[in-house]
Amino acid sequence: MNIRNNPALRDKLAAEYALGTLKGGARRRFEGWLHGDAALRRLTAEWQDRLAPLAEFSTAQAPRKQVWRAIEARLRLQRPASAWQFWRNPSLPFWRTLGLASSAAAAMLVVVLTTRMLDAPMLDYVATLSDDKSQAALLLTADNRHRRLDVRVLSAAPVASDKTLQLWAVPRQGAPRSLGVLAGRRSARLALPASAIGGDVVLLAVSLEPKGGSTDPGGPSGPILYKGNWVRLL
Amino acid sequence: MTSHIPPIDPRQLRAWLHGAARRDSADFRALYDATSAKLLGFALRILRKRELAEEALQETFVSVWNNAASYQSELAAPMTWLSTIVRNKAFDILRRSDGAVEIDGAQFDHDVMNALQDPQATPIEALQMSGDAKALAMCMAALEGPQRQVVGLAFYHDLSHSEVAQHLMMPIGTVKTWIRRSLDRLKKCLEKREHA
Repeated sequence: MNIRNNPALRDKLAAEYALGTLKGGARRRFEGWLHGDAALRRLTAEWQDRLAPLAEFSTAQAPRKQVWRAIEARLRLQRPASAWQFWRNPSLPFWRTLGLASSAAAAMLVVVLTTRMLDAPMLDYVATLSDDKSQAALLLTADNRHRRLDVRVLSAAPVASDKTLQLWAVPRQGAPRSLGVLAGRRSARLALPASAIGGDVVLLAVSLEPKGGSTDPGGPSGPILYKGNWVRLL
Repeated sequence: MTSHIPPIDPRQLRAWLHGAARRDSADFRALYDATSAKLLGFALRILRKRELAEEALQETFVSVWNNAASYQSELAAPMTWLSTIVRNKAFDILRRSDGAVEIDGAQFDHDVMNALQDPQATPIEALQMSGDAKALAMCMAALEGPQRQVVGLAFYHDLSHSEVAQHLMMPIGTVKTWIRRSLDRLKKCLEKREHA
């Protein structure tokens, strides 16, 4: 049977396919036509869109928790990250805006630094870390040749005498890498390990920790105050 | 447990579906959180039993994760795609259960039924559903009772023309005509609302 030149029949079959009354051999034949006929696919999709809202003609019912757990187990999904690892959640709008703001700030610094510091040490990377209001708080400069990481305080809030700030490089996967605690009040110089500027580093973060650093070997134990990321200088 | 969930922006659903296709489990979870109650309500409408409906929901999301990459956003609205999968999974379970699920006379929830029969007494605008569903409800309300019923029977219970005819004890020719006419009227009514 040729249905290509029979618009009325095409519409009727597409409607009955979407409704579900087209059954057995007729349904299989129709699916065969769908395969090689984009216009028929569109016609059928239109009918599905028309009738699909019938799904909403019943009251929403929250599923029990075990349904999600079963899905998670069957698909072997990773457990969600614990609360402090907020940056693991890519859908957080906060992180997006912050990312934009801090890379814009860092880009401006690139201009300033490259024009002013021609005779200064070889800088490979620079980063500004900002607070949750996108205020730049710390400036990081990395000198890869001398393996030095300099931290300068721009406008960070004062730290209590029994606390310290700790700097972290957060990789795409695995635990955050501590780059050291920031001892000085206005600036600090740290060693620059290769893992601090590796291509898998997606975030730099500063947490507020007890004197001496985080008590958690797997990452920060205190709140994250500042975040940002490297911008590579050419 | 009944929950009222406001309609979700299709663009957001599409973004989460694309996230699931990229194997982003946080996006997949967000999609589940936003749609699972609605989809379970639908599965319950078909299967009547919570355990069966939740099984259909589970099968649906396993399938969504595995097939998200094949979702074609230009062809189907995300909710259409999801509810079509729910319906297929529910019908699979229905066939397996071998007649254990009874078909009742009422095709829709009480409130929806009242609104469809008498939109003046129960305004469709006040129902908890998306704009698309309200438009369809208004067009369904404009059909006569039996014509509405044949559409509901076929859609929710996976019935063929002859099964609908058997269920209503009516000649198959009449059922075919009613279904054809109902679908035509729904299409015209929806098109008119769209262009209004």
